[in-house]
Amino acid sequence: MQKIEAVIQPSKLDAVKDALVEVGIEGMTITEARGHGRQKGHTEFYRGQEYSVDLLPKVKLELVVLDEMVDKAIQAIMTAARTGTIGDGKIFVSKIDEAIRIRNDERGDIAL
Amino acid sequence: MQANESTDRLRSRYQRKMLEIRGAFEAGASGSVTIAARSAAVDELVRGLWQQAVEQGGRLASGIALAAIGGYGRQELFPYSDVDLLFLLDARTAEKDVKDVIRRLNQEMWDCGIRVSPTTRKISECDRFAEENAEFTVSLMDHRMLAGDTGLYDKLAVQMLPKVLQREQKPLIERLIELTRIRHAKYGDTLFHLEPNIKDCPGGLRDVHVCGWLSALQWVSTQKTEESGSKGRNGSGAEDQEFRQAVEFLRLVRCFLHYRHERDDNTLAWQAQDAAAKAAIGVAGNASKEMDAAYWMRLYFRHARSVQRRVTQMMEAASAIVKASPRLLGLRRGPKAEQRQEGFRVERGQVVLDAVTESVEDPANDPSVVLNVFATMARTGCTLGREAEQRLSQALPLMSANLEEGPELWHKLQGVLTGRYAGNALRAMHAIGVLELLIPEFHGIDALVIRDAYHRYTVDEHTFVLIDTLHGLEDAQTGAKAEWAMRFGALLRELPHAGVLYLVALLHDTGKGRSTGDHAQESARMAQSVLARMELDAYESGLAVGLIANHLEMSAALRRDIFDAETVGAFAGKVLTPEMLRMLTLFTYADINAVHPDALTPWKAENLWRLYMATANYLDRSVDEERVGAQAENELVHRVAALLPGQRAEVGAYLEGFPKRYVRTRMPEQVRRHFQMAQLLGEDRVQLDFRYSPSVSELTVVTPDRALLFANMSGVLAAWGMNIVTADAFSNRQGVVVDSFRFTDTFRTLEMNASEHEAFLKSVHNVMTETLSVEKLLSGRRRGRRKTPKVVVETRVEFDDEASSHSTLLEVVAQDVPGLLRALSLTLAGQGCNIEVALVDTEGETAIDVFYLTKNGAKLEKDEERVLREALMQAMEENAR
Repeated sequence: MQKIEAVIQPSKLDAVKDALVEVGIEGMTITEARGHGRQKGHTEFYRGQEYSVDLLPKVKLELVVLDEMVDKAIQAIMTAARTGTIGDGKIFVSKIDEAIRIRNDERGDIAL
Repeated sequence: MQANESTDRLRSRYQRKMLEIRGAFEAGASGSVTIAARSAAVDELVRGLWQQAVEQGGRLASGIALAAIGGYGRQELFPYSDVDLLFLLDARTAEKDVKDVIRRLNQEMWDCGIRVSPTTRKISECDRFAEENAEFTVSLMDHRMLAGDTGLYDKLAVQMLPKVLQREQKPLIERLIELTRIRHAKYGDTLFHLEPNIKDCPGGLRDVHVCGWLSALQWVSTQKTEESGSKGRNGSGAEDQEFRQAVEFLRLVRCFLHYRHERDDNTLAWQAQDAAAKAAIGVAGNASKEMDAAYWMRLYFRHARSVQRRVTQMMEAASAIVKASPRLLGLRRGPKAEQRQEGFRVERGQVVLDAVTESVEDPANDPSVVLNVFATMARTGCTLGREAEQRLSQALPLMSANLEEGPELWHKLQGVLTGRYAGNALRAMHAIGVLELLIPEFHGIDALVIRDAYHRYTVDEHTFVLIDTLHGLEDAQTGAKAEWAMRFGALLRELPHAGVLYLVALLHDTGKGRSTGDHAQESARMAQSVLARMELDAYESGLAVGLIANHLEMSAALRRDIFDAETVGAFAGKVLTPEMLRMLTLFTYADINAVHPDALTPWKAENLWRLYMATANYLDRSVDEERVGAQAENELVHRVAALLPGQRAEVGAYLEGFPKRYVRTRMPEQVRRHFQMAQLLGEDRVQLDFRYSPSVSELTVVTPDRALLFANMSGVLAAWGMNIVTADAFSNRQGVVVDSFRFTDTFRTLEMNASEHEAFLKSVHNVMTETLSVEKLLSGRRRGRRKTPKVVVETRVEFDDEASSHSTLLEVVAQDVPGLLRALSLTLAGQGCNIEVALVDTEGETAIDVFYLTKNGAKLEKDEERVLREALMQAMEENAR
């Protein structure tokens, strides 16, 4: 099993969730986040005050899936989250040693 | 051998009994009967096991007693509740001697499927009382002898415990109240949860127990025998019955839940609500009637309310007896909450209605007095005394007959809505029925449960929490929310129509009572009849309906890319004016917060603020672009033309070319007036419209465009000592200019001398017709003492070449001082700039002035901007001296 972490635009969250459900992935953790890559922030002036946005709002998804599902999941996320402009986000994949279901102590693949 | 058989026999007897009890329950036995039956069955089992243990070895023969405490002690054992046991040891018996026997006994009970919660204590330990351990002492209050050394037990029950309770009465009561308040706070201090926990929520079974304990504790010092909490000394017969029925209902529901989940789960989740409604749990009469879950939940809330009322009364009575501090009860004491008004007075923070005499009619029948009561509660945070509450609810029919609708009603309702403690006043009004009397539309959302994963509260409670949140912005806050409170609070303070915002908050979800799709539209429709009944003026009505219909638009925009110009533009198209934008921003802030305590994260609040700023800037920057077109079919044209039948073409010609902003921020009646003034320009080139008010007056001039117009207007106002708060200047295609100024009268010249109004207007007219020099006026003016500014504002001068396609936008932010606008506009004229549009606003001590400029009919060049900037800075500096 592998963990997929995706940092995406908040406005794409619903589309990405739907796309993942469609390929059969229903479990995920979602965090409100801020960040930037090469995309710079910008400055807004309001009533003479400067408000600079260095860290833009983002959403981070984390999901752990079986090895055979990884490519499908990544594809789903990419298709749903891409706009083609800077700021679309990134996906990271890492290996997971163990998964456990708290309710009944199931371990391994069946815990996913 | 024999022991095991005996145990098996006891066990199977117990399990058989459990099945019987369940069967009886499903056949219709009450909760009280069920829990008493289980308690008796466990008694039999426990005593049997004890007897066996005694027969096997002598360890339990003396020096140890077994007592039931907690719920088991009260003989209230719910189907899957824990069984609380106390193993009491005398001084001679050491715990290690009986440890094994006790463990075996507990094990045997576990084997029977009973979750035992055992405590072992030496008798001397029961004498000790520590604050952290108050719960143990409280659980002892429900003691009941089961088996063992009766002499030892009596020592506890008859000698020791009463002394402890008497000695520690005050700290016990205080601790009990404190624990209850903490528990209530965990549940938002409301019983209106979508999925309530019927044990721990306010109005639940825990509160019933608290009533019993407080009742027992209160009378300890007078050594009267305790009566059960349901026979309240301070309640009327009807109230007692109501309370008893509520307790019966809650017990029934808890048994139902236990059997349904087959464990100690006390949450009334949605599916459980459906099942309870289907089985008509707790519903007297015909169970054949189809009942939906929402209706059944209202029954639950009604009962829970009785319990909550009782526990609140008892906590107040108990704390008075021990003279606990008011803060313990969480009572808010506003500034000097003692006062006297017509029909009632406020004593010790509670409203007391005047007595009914032969000559004086019952004040409870007078809607005016009643609304005054609630306005006072909203303003000071005082609560309704019990007698007042009873009288008011009994007087509802008469109040209804005497109720007059119209602007007076709106005025009084505003008094309630804008008070700092409006939420509490409204909740009281709602509980009694007064709110639905005034606004029948509220009936549909009374205790309404909406199946929604995000919301925590019922729809009506959500509304009150929203209003509380708005008022909360008025307070200084600490921690994470402090910055948001400051920013959004600033918006709230600048609202000219705050009352409308609170009315919108009250009505925005009434549409959820109807099960049609779009509740926003439904609420807007319902609001229209409310607004008509209270005769709000056209502008306020338009604002209210627009806000309600669009109250979800900002939340929706937040789910899109808030940094994308299209998102902002589309959203701006929905709000249309800065005032509506501010109100919608505040509303959205409070709405999110009222969904759930955790819903308004700093992340969300920040995004909300960004969207607000972007839209505010968009609105100001698009003024020049969005102008009324030539087509007479325009909705904006229609709004005004409807007031002037037969003159549609003329109205269209007048409005053509004005920025849409001009029409959107005015009542149609005002635009009509300006139109009529424009028609008279042939007779008199300078048409004036003056509306005086001691707080903020408004002066509008309609005149053909020419140089120095704005400079001269601001000059003559400055000369008369008027402080300009907001202003705008617009022109149409025909070159007619409409300049409006709203200002305060610094020296109260107009307030104190009625004749000065004439002189003032004459002066303005003469300056505008150039028969009087502004410089001359200004040189002779009074100069007020320069106040040291509370907040020092840094001066900013910014140009924007992109905002408009044919003019340059100039934004000046500076310290608001008299003469500022005159200095700026004079400089602009001096540099050969023409003001296409002006938008002047003040926020506290900051002046924000936006001008759309052209020079020789085109945008300004870069070096022209540079020169202008220097000139402006210099002019402001000179003016400030």
